[in-house]
Amino acid sequence: MAREFELTRNITVGQYLPTGSFVHRLDPRIKLLACGILILAIAFCNSYGGNLIVLAFSCLLFRLSRIPLRYGLSGVKPAIPFIVILAVLQLLFYGDIASGGRVYLEYGLIVITSDSLRLVIVSALRFIEIIFVSSVLTLSTSTTQLTHGMESLLKPLGYLKFPVHEFSLIMTIALRFVPTFAMEMEKMIKAQASRGAEFGTGSWWQIFRRTKEMLPIIVPLFRVAMERAEDLILAMEARCYTPGGTRSRFRTYQTTFRDGLTLLFILCFSLLLWMYPFPY
Amino acid sequence: MKEPLIRMEGVSFDYRLNSEEVVRVLRDVSLDIYPGEYVAIIGHNGSGKSTLAKHFNGILKPTEGNVYVAGFNTKDDRYRREIRRRVGMVFQHPDNQIVATIVEDDVAFGLENIGVPPREMRKRIDAALEAVGMSSYRNRPPHHLSGGQKQRVAIAGVLAMEPRCLVLDEATSMLDAHGRREILQVLRRLHQRGMTIIAVSHHMSEAAEADRVLVIEAGRIAMEGPPREIFQRQELLRRLQLDIPVATRLAGRIHERVPDFQPDLIHPREIVDEVVRIAGKKGAAG
Ligand SMILES: Nc1ncnc2c1ncn2[C@@H]1O[C@H](COP(=O)(O)OP(=O)(O)OP(=O)(O)O)[C@@H](O)[C@H]1O
Ligand SMILES: [Mg+2]
Repeated sequence: MAREFELTRNITVGQYLPTGSFVHRLDPRIKLLACGILILAIAFCNSYGGNLIVLAFSCLLFRLSRIPLRYGLSGVKPAIPFIVILAVLQLLFYGDIASGGRVYLEYGLIVITSDSLRLVIVSALRFIEIIFVSSVLTLSTSTTQLTHGMESLLKPLGYLKFPVHEFSLIMTIALRFVPTFAMEMEKMIKAQASRGAEFGTGSWWQIFRRTKEMLPIIVPLFRVAMERAEDLILAMEARCYTPGGTRSRFRTYQTTFRDGLTLLFILCFSLLLWMYPFPY
Repeated sequence: MKEPLIRMEGVSFDYRLNSEEVVRVLRDVSLDIYPGEYVAIIGHNGSGKSTLAKHFNGILKPTEGNVYVAGFNTKDDRYRREIRRRVGMVFQHPDNQIVATIVEDDVAFGLENIGVPPREMRKRIDAALEAVGMSSYRNRPPHHLSGGQKQRVAIAGVLAMEPRCLVLDEATSMLDAHGRREILQVLRRLHQRGMTIIAVSHHMSEAAEADRVLVIEAGRIAMEGPPREIFQRQELLRRLQLDIPVATRLAGRIHERVPDFQPDLIHPREIVDEVVRIAGKKGAAG
């Protein structure tokens, strides 16, 4: 039960780990782009061979950015139930669809073939790889850099009247308030628990029960959020913020030769993954 | 006489509740605030202090009367930016006024809004963080800071815009004694450097720091004057549901027993001086 209270500790979004490595010093725009390309390539990579190479590569990324691998693993941990559920479902019901290869087991509707087994293992591997890659991105890039990078990449959309800056400001503020709300929530859970409310009594599969238990938290949390929003608007206005106004930028990023080289490498690597006919 | 930085002329203000109902919160308030002044605004809950404070930088506009900031009428939207960069405002909740995920970026927010070029920004941010003693925290995320530190960051965010005047609406009320001391120190230092300060407060010992105290009651200025005079009118203050500083109360009590003891003291250090003075006299006499 006490575990349930310690929300702030469980938050890994935007957990920036500055080690000053080569990866940390890359231009955030390039990092975002490279990460996107790599994830796309992973999504299309169906072979054991390719996936093992990506897995090895993502471990190498941890080394390069001097971040201990356990940070990546702690990102995988909460995803394990999903991976397991997905695997079980695929194993049981994909035999018909992925019916190629040898049949290992046939029992009524349930067919397990070497192809469906491959699908299961490859999906699990992909899941882990994507978590690893995006962990490296968020651990090696501060939230400011991430949002600025995003803003900069989305800039072309500005010509289509998409409010790029506002979008990035919203993201920044959201990220800024994650820890604040986590603390708020912790306080509320304690307050409600001390009045006899029960939390975390249902197991994780009792979704309805757990959701119902959260209601006495969610309602006051919304109220607090609205109050905070009003205050924040005032504070922003008092500092001359005008929506849609022209602004200058404190942080500017410079793309160097090194960044270009990195992007080129990731591009080639991804193409290779996608195109190369791995024997397994 | 110098030109006032902020001039309010017959200001009344109504909050509109719905299409018919309005509630009058400020009633015919006129006041001048001069450059370099330190003004404290006190009054009980709901007396209209925050509403008044929001008129100083044009967040609220008077229903009747006019407010001029450095000569600009706050009703004229063309001058909004000019007004707000001259009069900065710090609010009560340290958490609800920090926008960015890194201290430095938050201080930059206001500068970005008024279009300061990046190189100039660097200088101003450094100076502002230095002024509030937060330079070594420049790269920290705000949720790792204490309340007092967050509030100092908020002040730095305003200072970076190089305002002439700082308005603080109960900026210390969410802080513990230590945080409060930190903020008061910063304010004192800024005041010495010539910054105009307007501080809304519930703490009488904070109001005692000011050159001038405004007492607000039901949207009117009920009393006005130097803190030493204001805090001597205890009958009236009690009727307005207001307290007096601990030092003043203590001095009053001692004065009842030792008539020689000055009753109009407002700072703890003055009590000490007075005790030393009287003890010295006793020593010389005996
Ligand atoms: N947005 C609003 N709409 C309607 N009425 C309001 C609004 N804000 C404040 N009021 C009313 O205006 C009056 C003065 O409010 P104000 O916040 O200025 O008081 P205050 O002196 O700052 O009080 P406190 O010491 O609690 O901060 C109160 O009676 C309040 O109910
Ligand atoms: Mg108020």
